[in-house]
Amino acid sequence: MAEETFKPTIIGFLCNWCTYAAADSAGVSRMKMPSSVNIVRLMCTGRVDPLFVLTALLRGADGVLISGCWPGQCHYQKGNLHARRRAAVLQSIFETLEPDMGNRFRLTWVAASEAPRFVQVVKEFDKHITQAGPSPIAEEMFL
Amino acid sequence: MSDKGASLPAAQGLETALVGWLKETLQKEIVDALLVPVKVPADDSFAYLLVQNPAVLDRASPLPPVMPIQGGKVISRLTMGGNGNLRIAAVVRPCEARAAIELTKLKQAYLDNLLLITIDCPGVLPLSDYLADPAAGATRFAEAAAQGDRDPMRPVCQICDHFSLRQAPAADLHVGTLGCPEGTVVFVPGSPKGEKVLEEMGMALDAALDDWAGQVDELAQAQTERRQQAHAELGQTIAGADKLLGVFSTCINCHNCQRACPICYCRQCYFESAALKLPPENYMARAELKGALRFSPDTLLFHIGRATHMVLSCVSCGACEDACPMDIPVAQMFSLLADRSQQEMNYVAGESLADVLPLVDYQMDELHHMEQPYVEIYKQEVQDA
Amino acid sequence: MPEARKIDKGAEQTIREMLQALLASGQVSAVLSLGRTGGDQGGVAYSLFTDPEAFGPEGAAQPFFPLMPANAGGLLSRLTFKGALTKPIAAVIRPCELRAFVELVKLNEARMDNVLLISSTCSGVYTFNVANNGGVKPRLPQYWKQVEQGELDADVRESCRSCIHFVPRVADITVALLGEGNLDTQCTLYLHTEKAAALVDGLEGFQGTPASGELETEAIQRSLGQRQAFRDEVFGQIEVGLQGLVHTFGRCISCRACKTVCPICYCQLCYFDSPKCERLPRFYEDELLKKGGLRVPADTIYFQIGRMAHMSASCVGCGMCMDVCPADIPVSTIFSKVGTAVQAVFDYVPGRDLEEPVPVQTFEQEELAQVAT
Repeated sequence: MAEETFKPTIIGFLCNWCTYAAADSAGVSRMKMPSSVNIVRLMCTGRVDPLFVLTALLRGADGVLISGCWPGQCHYQKGNLHARRRAAVLQSIFETLEPDMGNRFRLTWVAASEAPRFVQVVKEFDKHITQAGPSPIAEEMFL
Repeated sequence: MSDKGASLPAAQGLETALVGWLKETLQKEIVDALLVPVKVPADDSFAYLLVQNPAVLDRASPLPPVMPIQGGKVISRLTMGGNGNLRIAAVVRPCEARAAIELTKLKQAYLDNLLLITIDCPGVLPLSDYLADPAAGATRFAEAAAQGDRDPMRPVCQICDHFSLRQAPAADLHVGTLGCPEGTVVFVPGSPKGEKVLEEMGMALDAALDDWAGQVDELAQAQTERRQQAHAELGQTIAGADKLLGVFSTCINCHNCQRACPICYCRQCYFESAALKLPPENYMARAELKGALRFSPDTLLFHIGRATHMVLSCVSCGACEDACPMDIPVAQMFSLLADRSQQEMNYVAGESLADVLPLVDYQMDELHHMEQPYVEIYKQEVQDA
Repeated sequence: MPEARKIDKGAEQTIREMLQALLASGQVSAVLSLGRTGGDQGGVAYSLFTDPEAFGPEGAAQPFFPLMPANAGGLLSRLTFKGALTKPIAAVIRPCELRAFVELVKLNEARMDNVLLISSTCSGVYTFNVANNGGVKPRLPQYWKQVEQGELDADVRESCRSCIHFVPRVADITVALLGEGNLDTQCTLYLHTEKAAALVDGLEGFQGTPASGELETEAIQRSLGQRQAFRDEVFGQIEVGLQGLVHTFGRCISCRACKTVCPICYCQLCYFDSPKCERLPRFYEDELLKKGGLRVPADTIYFQIGRMAHMSASCVGCGMCMDVCPADIPVSTIFSKVGTAVQAVFDYVPGRDLEEPVPVQTFEQEELAQVAT
């Protein structure tokens, strides 16, 4: 094989109470999934500043995932609802100016009891980003 | 330090020769990275790039026709966190090097790991002129630079007399282009650091500098006369409240001048701080007093205030005037104020790291003419007592 | 509401005399309006006028002068940031400035108490380039002729020619200008609030005759069509994609002028000017290792997109950013395009309604299902 297979670098912002717990659970149960997601644990998706996503993408991350409690189940009641609005703003900006960045950014909900769903989400997103290829931003000097 | 320079063949012009030389410094690992202006991908401007990849240097332009960002500011942004691990060669214009020196004294830049390289500067085009047609601008600049014609350049470049190493010995290395034999330029060492680099590059210090020095001095003399005349004329047009207000009558308080200025480094400018954000009663009272209050207020306060804050370190680079959307001759005014105030303090901004900033130093016995009125009053009281 | 009143005096004369009367009678203590700044350059600036003579025939006030040296919405925020006005003022401002003021009030950066808002159906303002080369004053006869015809001068700013929100919403009084004939002998005032009606009725000679008809005339609809078409055109010219961003912002010198003049950008210390964005050597070294080359100062595109993330939900498309950009980047067109897209997600138009919360200040339990997968 002449080419090395591209292994994406994905930054995952996971909320402590739901998705992080699911990820933990998946790990303990030895569920197999790609290792491309680098997990950053936050207490709530409401903590995610849009600039976190932007920083990650501009510093060359191939993908950014935000995952937290389902709407209505947020440990802090409404943090994820804020997160959803912020994600909507960011997605809208990306779609208008640079659709590829929008393609590399995803918001999902995974509850603490949904370890298999977390595995599914990671597998799907890893596949999606692999298909998207390495981020062209990683090589761009005039940022 | 040697009083001789090192010759560099430049058959295809300064930029080609210099870029080739810089590539060699990278290749020979004399430096770890370069900081040079590079043409942007859209071909309509230049931006400083920190470079390790030599392929990028094909689009490098050590002496571009415009100065969109002042190089001193760039050096400050790069090094404000302290000296890094990389040895960097930075190619900048003399006024940019002088700004970097001032910023270092102000603890906003660190030059220990930087090799500062300057070039004899023909000036730069006004940014808006260049942006109107970049290709034509590049041609206009090249022709004017070759003929030593400063008329297309910015007003403050037209009266610049610090365009070479001889008047501003701040650089480690200087590339002399004036008074050199056809097809060559000369490297002039400005510091032991610079001399060492020439040695490591295998360049013999055997080029006489008399012709270069002579040409530079002659031109500098002519420029100084031009500067003094321009300042005298300008002084007439701005002296007095009416005239000053007239010049700033179109000012929109955008503060571009302050943002573009390399010396203005404050994270939050005093004139944008809470100190000047007052309750409505204050503004209404002031409006009542005079029948009207220009709003937002304090236009003159900002300009004169900014002058008092930075004029002792002003290097007359002209970045402010390029940035002004209302075509106000701020750089010309500030260069006049800078010359006068620096002269008053026996100080030249950016000449040497060894010169202490005037406001952090003082002597017991100086500036007595500032005290006169008070001494006279006191003297009388003492006599009467 | 709104009631229309036809006055048998020219538009400029009507407003000047009205404001002069309001000041003279003490019903307002000051008026925020454009005015001559003196000097030969023909400069204008916003001023707080307290002297009624300023609105006399020779006075310095220039209420409808077609130049926007600052966004008056931002100025009203500066005025009322520390507290509401305790004495009443009137302000003559353009629709986009009005919308910015409304946004700032919703964002708790300004207070509307005691401000009588006078606006007009707007035909745009000239670029600073025109002001700096020959000045706006010689253009005035031509400008007003075109206003009466419902047309925009070709040298009026791109932001104005692509503006689709040129009819004021939250004003007390709107002066009908665009597409109104004979503006030097008659004018129509629309009174949107009871405060406005009471004021006008209380002034000698300004009651006018009630007129029928809508604020949004055929001429206005026509202008809207033209401006929407131009808007689509200039929005379409923006290069999309990573290389698009690199090309567009290649000239950017990170001066932050756009942010400084933006009425919505109210942060005392912008995040992008804060220590968080003062990069340590380690940052540059890391990036250099990864890429082989890096622009200095860094974070140019980060600032641009970041600023969009922060304020695009409230961007009113006033165009100040583009006016002051030293690198001739069409900032306002880009930010308006992004702003429009972001606002569409929430069915929101900044500044149209004081009661409508800004999208980033609130949320619903059930909404935006398409965002999370």
